[in-house]
Amino acid sequence: MKQPKKRRFQLSERQLGYAMVAPSIILIAVIIIWPIMLSAWNSLFDYRLNDPAKAERISSLSINLETYADNRYLVYDTLEDVRDAMPDAGGTLDDIITALDEQHETLLNTDEGLADRYEEVNTMLDNFQPVNDEELRLVEVPEEWADGFANTLDEQTAAVQALREGAPEEAVQPLTDLESQLSNTQGSILEPNFVGLKNYTTYLGDGRTWTAMLNTLLFTVVTVGVELAVGLAVALLINRVFIGRGLVRAAVLVPWAIPTAVAAMMWTFLFDGQSGIMAHYMAQFGLIDDPGALLSTGAGGMFSIMFADIWKTTPYMALLLLAGLQTIPRSLYEAAEVDGANKFQQFISITLPMIRSAILVAVLFRALDAFRVFDLIYVLTGGGPANSTESISVYAYKLLFEQQNFGAGSALSVIVFLSVALLSTIFIKLIGSELFSGRLKQ
Amino acid sequence: MVKRAGVGFYIFLIIFVFLVMFPFIWVFLTSIKPQGEIFSSFQWFSSNMTLDNYASALETRPLLMYMLNSFVVATLTTIISIIVASFTAYAVTRLPIRFKGLILGLVLAASMFPQIAVLSPIFNFVTDAGLRNSYLGLVIPYITISLPLAIWILSTFFIKIPLALEESAKLDGATPFQTFRKIIFPLAAPGVFTTAILVFIAAWNEYLFALTINTDDRWRTIPVGISFYQSQYTVPWGDITAATVIVTIPIVVLVLLFQRRIVAGLTSGSVKE
Repeated sequence: MKQPKKRRFQLSERQLGYAMVAPSIILIAVIIIWPIMLSAWNSLFDYRLNDPAKAERISSLSINLETYADNRYLVYDTLEDVRDAMPDAGGTLDDIITALDEQHETLLNTDEGLADRYEEVNTMLDNFQPVNDEELRLVEVPEEWADGFANTLDEQTAAVQALREGAPEEAVQPLTDLESQLSNTQGSILEPNFVGLKNYTTYLGDGRTWTAMLNTLLFTVVTVGVELAVGLAVALLINRVFIGRGLVRAAVLVPWAIPTAVAAMMWTFLFDGQSGIMAHYMAQFGLIDDPGALLSTGAGGMFSIMFADIWKTTPYMALLLLAGLQTIPRSLYEAAEVDGANKFQQFISITLPMIRSAILVAVLFRALDAFRVFDLIYVLTGGGPANSTESISVYAYKLLFEQQNFGAGSALSVIVFLSVALLSTIFIKLIGSELFSGRLKQ
Repeated sequence: MVKRAGVGFYIFLIIFVFLVMFPFIWVFLTSIKPQGEIFSSFQWFSSNMTLDNYASALETRPLLMYMLNSFVVATLTTIISIIVASFTAYAVTRLPIRFKGLILGLVLAASMFPQIAVLSPIFNFVTDAGLRNSYLGLVIPYITISLPLAIWILSTFFIKIPLALEESAKLDGATPFQTFRKIIFPLAAPGVFTTAILVFIAAWNEYLFALTINTDDRWRTIPVGISFYQSQYTVPWGDITAATVIVTIPIVVLVLLFQRRIVAGLTSGSVKE
């Protein structure tokens, strides 16, 4: 049966426009802008994933309820084991329980709702659920309580140690466990690890950061410079009608299209000191002392990285510039010829000004790419030998994920971000209007 | 400056193409040499060619699994990214909204940010959401990374479509969204396709996020998987060259089939027509 056609809800053009823009803006805000702000915030903490006391950002003295509840359960459990093994120590054990319970009561009364939160965490632990919610897990505690708690734990630890002297053999193991559980309980108290700008001052005063920065700058300037010069020369030479255009175009696109990591693996093989053909011939022609020098010295390593990048990107640059050259009307050159301008004068006063924007756009995006270089160096040299080919992104990555030092790594990534922002602002000042032209509805 | 090509020109061209292709040629020739000849031998051709290296490359590491992972991640990224980006490109080029300059500026700025600056917070998000070692954990960041490129290229294609077509659609009573879906999107199909190829290649090639987020071998993508062929003590060049050839073939096919489209996409951002 046919339903009568309903009047459908309709958006006006403008509302539709905002609705269509929204998903992109939300994605960019959530996946780019918010994380950059978080990185900046992280960089102000001594934040290390591999150190339980610093594995989160703590602005003020807090307790990790997850660790606390977990260890509290273990401590009571072990106390019962000790009681079974050492029935005559009952009095001391009761004292320990009383002292811990007293601290526990005080803790639950320091803040309204804390008891409920503790219960919730406890229930999750009983169900073997990890407590991922920071809001639930971390609770600020007053300093007096933390001090008193630390004292109690120290006293009880001393009592446990005293019990162990002369304890029967079967009680030694539970007593040792108990001692380490008490010390783990102490680990649930988290000292604030906010350090302000200390990560920045430390790492900006560190030679390795500056080496990485200089390597990055050198890499950017040299590769983009050579790619532009060679790319322009190639573009000028092949800007004519010839047979096999498609084939040439495909050939130059392949290096651009393969993953950088794959290209880096190929070049690791070609530069290898023993089996690498590039290293072999460069040594034979006397360009390097021995074939091993390419990947085992700092200068050789930098050369290898730059060479691989230039190989991968020059063809792409040439294609971009060729497209620019093809938009220049031939009549301009004809007129110049009539006026008696030679080829060089034509190049300077016609070709260059006409492809200025193509050059600037290509250089902008290449320079930003080169400044962020990661995969090529990480796979080709790993930043070695002795960190001499590390770029700033590679160094930041190593701090973040190899040393798990999220505070320092974030500080370096913020430095990369600021450098890139500065670089792009300069470029946009130069070419901004040309980038936007033709894309906005007038 | 359109000149006719002479003999010298073709010689130059052959040398240029040879230099560009040399690493591929050499890697291919190495991949069909027997193990013993790879080490310290600089012979072009081997007298006893073999496919052993290929068998070994597929055996020692799950290369085909890596390719499948890359394919799924890149395809999902491409589809979602194109849908989201074409909405934005349409709104910015065709609909009467405000802050267009601001929106495009934001998109442009987003294309310039360094990935390392967002990596650790995204790593934390993905870990908390339980998306480590999954396709979605990579697809979500990839969509966002590819959006600026896609929006930028799509809007150059959309702006070229004559306004008259839309006006007549409007006269025929089409809603703006119908105009987009039935007129603009199909007419810009070549541009959409071009953008899709570029987004696909970018997602296929991404290394940093893939390295950090999918650390389990089962979920690794091609670029990361291939960089793990090196072990601490030995470098199995035979396997590596064979694996390189295997993973390069799909890219070569893609480029041969779609080179015109790719060049059109690459140059659309930089050349005014």
